[in-house]
Amino acid sequence: MKRTGVFICHCGINIAGTVDVKKVAKELSNHTGVVHSEEYIYMCSDPGQNLIIEAIKENQLDSVVVACCSPTLHETTFRNTVKSAGINPFQCEIANIREQCSWVHKDMEKATEKAIKLTKSAVERVHRNESLDPISIPVTRRALVVGGGIAGIQSALDLANSGYEVILVERSPSIGGHMIQLSETFPTLDCSQCILTPKMVEVSKHPKIKLLTYSEIQDISGYVGNFKVKILKKPTYVDPDKCTLCDECTKVCPVVVPNEFDLGLTGRRAVYMPFPQAIPATYTLDIKSCPGLLPIACGKCADVCEPEAIDYDMKPEIVEEEVGAIIVATGFDLYDKELMAEYGHGKYADVLDGLQFERLCSASGPTTGKILRPSDHKEPKEVVFIQCVGSRDPELHCAYCSKICCMYTAKHAMLYKHHVPDGQAYIFYIDIRSGGKGYEEFVQRAVEEDGALYLRGKVSKIFEDKGKIKVWGVDTLSGKDIEIDADMVVLATAMRPSEGAEELAKKLKIALDKDGFLSEAHPKLRPVESVTPGMFLAGAAQAPKDIPEAVAQASGAAAKAIAILSQERLFHAPTVAKVNVNLCTGCGMCVHVCPYDSLSLKDGKAEVNEVLCEGCGTCSATCLRAAIEVKNLTPLQVNEMIGASLGG
Amino acid sequence: MVSLEDLKKEAKQILKENKVKYIIGYKKSTNGLMPVPAFIKEPEEVEKLVWDPTCVFNLTRYLVDEKRRKTKEKEPDERPVGLVVKGCDSRAINILLQEKFINREDVYLLGVSCENTGVLDEKKLTKKIKGEKVKKVEFDEKDNFIITTQEGKTKIPAKEILANRCLECKANFPVIYDVLLGEKAKRSIDNPFESIEKIESLSTEERWTFWKKQLDKCIRCYACRSVCPMCYCDECVADTISFAVTADTTAEEKAQKIKWVEKSPVSSENFIYHMVRAIHLAGRCIDCGECERACPLDIPLRFLNRKLEKEAKELFGFEAGFDPDQPSLISCFKDEDPEDFIR
Repeated sequence: MKRTGVFICHCGINIAGTVDVKKVAKELSNHTGVVHSEEYIYMCSDPGQNLIIEAIKENQLDSVVVACCSPTLHETTFRNTVKSAGINPFQCEIANIREQCSWVHKDMEKATEKAIKLTKSAVERVHRNESLDPISIPVTRRALVVGGGIAGIQSALDLANSGYEVILVERSPSIGGHMIQLSETFPTLDCSQCILTPKMVEVSKHPKIKLLTYSEIQDISGYVGNFKVKILKKPTYVDPDKCTLCDECTKVCPVVVPNEFDLGLTGRRAVYMPFPQAIPATYTLDIKSCPGLLPIACGKCADVCEPEAIDYDMKPEIVEEEVGAIIVATGFDLYDKELMAEYGHGKYADVLDGLQFERLCSASGPTTGKILRPSDHKEPKEVVFIQCVGSRDPELHCAYCSKICCMYTAKHAMLYKHHVPDGQAYIFYIDIRSGGKGYEEFVQRAVEEDGALYLRGKVSKIFEDKGKIKVWGVDTLSGKDIEIDADMVVLATAMRPSEGAEELAKKLKIALDKDGFLSEAHPKLRPVESVTPGMFLAGAAQAPKDIPEAVAQASGAAAKAIAILSQERLFHAPTVAKVNVNLCTGCGMCVHVCPYDSLSLKDGKAEVNEVLCEGCGTCSATCLRAAIEVKNLTPLQVNEMIGASLGG
Repeated sequence: MVSLEDLKKEAKQILKENKVKYIIGYKKSTNGLMPVPAFIKEPEEVEKLVWDPTCVFNLTRYLVDEKRRKTKEKEPDERPVGLVVKGCDSRAINILLQEKFINREDVYLLGVSCENTGVLDEKKLTKKIKGEKVKKVEFDEKDNFIITTQEGKTKIPAKEILANRCLECKANFPVIYDVLLGEKAKRSIDNPFESIEKIESLSTEERWTFWKKQLDKCIRCYACRSVCPMCYCDECVADTISFAVTADTTAEEKAQKIKWVEKSPVSSENFIYHMVRAIHLAGRCIDCGECERACPLDIPLRFLNRKLEKEAKELFGFEAGFDPDQPSLISCFKDEDPEDFIR
């Protein structure tokens, strides 16, 4: 029989307010195998922990149960406490009498009874706990960053500058993401390209960064510290080493398709460079718009290419890499315009989304920085900006706030006024969210210095009428109907997770939230970690964010990755599944059901990869023959815990 | 129509060619109408084989014994076992394959079609003919059984004396076989879950009363378990000795026996036993109805299994036993699986 000590925490009044802790301690002291039982106001405090250490020494305890908060909070604390007193840490179990008892009950008598049962069942469990040692695994000290926007770039640079090799994977032909499309950035109005391109150049020149553009993650296996990644490198059909950037190929290419970089405001050729500062600086032959890779179909670009950089025989390539940590920074896309037909987006040429307006304002944009209507290239004198297009609309569109629209709409109004001093900007808004350093002042500046007219209310209808875009709305502050004959309408469309993020999340086994953004492990305390160990989140892939926030999270994710990569070895919880081969019939149900791919069949019996196993117990619950169990949570322990919970 | 002569011919052929070590089929019993299993090793014995609507048993259960025997043999005969399978039995084969309990090359399947009808329920037949001694039951080309009694031949619509499970059958021809006898006739069923829907329509109290009455009858003879081809675990959770005693079992482990279910046939333990069995058969039961037939107390056990079958079909579009390569119901999930029942 074990000698178990039981320690009941008051957690101030969090537990003691609803649970009679003295009674729990007294009841437990009578339980078989319990040689010591006491309560204390804060067990996790230093004096509280010392109490445990003292009791272990005085009573020669070999196992400990702490009845306190959730094991997710202080299990590690108390396991380390008992370890320091010379007991194997896995001889310490937590009875959660706060989240699972005092916080959810009101009746003191009943809550006390439940706390006693919970604690007794933990005692029963610990009585049959084995002493275990953590599983030690080596670490591959390199990182993978998925997504080459500002967040991915920042993470990659931070990792590389800390001395770790980084593989940066971007699916489009150049890094830069959406930030490179922006004109100027709030609240300081510095030129987006001017502040981003130095970082892009640093990435391209960094000896520790391996940049794979036009590439996608195909498959990921392995576990924290030791991931194996298969990356599909799509053929660009242009050899960047040979290409001299003479631009002769685009001159002869007969195909014109909408230019993604300018969001369709301009066209590009099938062979193209996304934008002048593209990294890597090379051309890509877009196979989807190219009439064919055969000289017989067209072949004009190859004909004029003097350095013979164009290679129609280039094949997709699978690059395999081993990394220890992964940062996912897949960014955002704008909410589909097809879904916002009520505002005439996609129907009227002069109804634009925020990113298109950024291109109009940008010095490198289709109009070289002049704000002109796409339809007739005239300067718009009245522009209506509409906020919360698709955002904050739980009935029809996205329930969440896209966070950056209030700020960039103020910026748009400001930039418009700077370009067209005699123009008037109208802004329809629900309310203004300008939390952030210098943000509120920025919005005020748009109103006071640049005369942006804020109208609180929603737009009911937009339609074209005699070369103007009629905007019908209501100003809820004055209660008046508003009718504006606008020359241009700009929609602050909602942000949504970038296309393909869901598919990638599945490959990485990262959870998605209800809106499809990547889920963090804890909304407050683990905001850059995913639920999968060794995988971290950065930027707008996790939630709508502005640039400073994306950069901050990217650096945070890099720091978290470094915390893994800087270790010689990692330790994995030894509470993993164990197969009883005598009972196993080799049906393979556990193999199918394991969410961590930690099980396989070997010679007709299940086999556990202990490093991959997270000890979730799904296999144990599935196995019809009870041939697989999780260490320290065996069916026998569960049975005894049930017995104790039922008062037996 | 399945020709018995063809079946015999096939059986004789494979025995002669040494393709199988023996054949499990049906033969006439020495007493009564219902046949008994036949284990045929010699080609000349094939004359004993019968095939008619009285061949109700699911013979796949014998593969469990066969496997146990084989694992004990030092130099096992690796030739397959020949097996006569109906539609439902063949689906049991698929489950055993899916669970890798047997390999495809372990069995040689003589598939027989149930000819648009099915097999009969002995009790229904006895009632129908009011105690007359039945000599023979045959399929006819249509939806009737031809019954031969001392009084002569009569035709009875199959529907009236079919086994309950056959009334709700989804595949009355083998879905996996090496030789198929008879036609792939598929009978269309308006509502395969008609009987279970009646139970479902009862109130909670009525259902409780119903099941309490039924399960209180159980004497825990475990006939349902013994006859079930899916109940092939070496150790059953319902046995008090619980986790298997093997060569590696320590004395301490032996002392740590869990009694998940008490042996005594009282309400609570009977409920647990039957619930556990039903859950363990979810997505595996192919509704051969053997448990219900074997039950000496006439407990309608099929209802329990059918309920889970219906849930699996409606929630996950899962049907057991049609594809040996599909993962089992409880070990697979799809992104589009409903989860609104999680509260």
